[in-house]
Amino acid sequence: MGSGPVSAVQALQAALAAEDAAIFGYGVAGAHLSGTRKTAAEQDWTGHNEARDTLTAMISALGAAPVAAQAFYRLPSQVHDAASAMALAAYLEDGVTRAYLGLVAVSDQRLRTFGALAMQGSAERAAFWRGSTQAFPGLVAS
Amino acid sequence: MLAASAAALPALLATAGCRSSDAFAGPDPLAGRPALSPDVITLQEVIKAERAMIALYQAAMNGEPASRVRVLEGLLAQHRQHLAQLQARLVLPSASPAPSASASRSAAAPRRTTIAQLRTAERASATDLVQRLVSVPPALAQLFASIAASDATHVAALAGYGQG
Repeated sequence: MGSGPVSAVQALQAALAAEDAAIFGYGVAGAHLSGTRKTAAEQDWTGHNEARDTLTAMISALGAAPVAAQAFYRLPSQVHDAASAMALAAYLEDGVTRAYLGLVAVSDQRLRTFGALAMQGSAERAAFWRGSTQAFPGLVAS
Repeated sequence: MLAASAAALPALLATAGCRSSDAFAGPDPLAGRPALSPDVITLQEVIKAERAMIALYQAAMNGEPASRVRVLEGLLAQHRQHLAQLQARLVLPSASPAPSASASRSAAAPRRTTIAQLRTAERASATDLVQRLVSVPPALAQLFASIAASDATHVAALAGYGQG
């Protein structure tokens, strides 16, 4: 986060961008998964679409224009099997968690709560895909 | 890493952390013990709750087989990290007695904790932190939110443990 108060619209746009990236990424990951994992990826993909719609409406309600999704997102690594697909899903959820953590820094209390609750969902999904929990989801370690 | 970002964040100061005696000569209308800021009190309460969580985990590990203890130790280690980060944000005026970790360890810990009780405690902690984060400075709110998210993931981790 930069210095100074975080703008609600900026934080919401960042969350929207992370959701759009997740929607794209789950499309790639899902193609390499099967069985219950594929079902889980499909559920998560649907959830991210719903979150995208929610954020779009919230940004519009604040009088701003939601930034459109990109046609293509660069992925952190090649996805060629179930293990790399699950690693990608965890990576995507980490990005979503970081973005929602940005919302927790805004002054609007309802947005703070919204961001805090949303990041619990993405942290739980990241833990599922990674197979382990983290002490500080969303707080960047680098 | 985290320690660096914690150091970069504004420290929480008690409202009346400075002594009035030498700084200005006028009469002190609030003579007596300085009041702690609401943020400091909130942080102290959250630290106390985190210590209680650690005590719960320690009680849960009593008599458990080694394989299960390992799972709980992993989660307990994350709670210790939570506690360390919370304590790093706490800056008290020098007059305030700082609670010592060893004193709290010997404090009344439950004899035995079930996994179900741990799950309930994790869920309650996440809820409590989300309620508290609306009224604290942004950096502290983010730490609370991150710890709440970690606690939420522990609920699911403990669910898997319970079936194992």
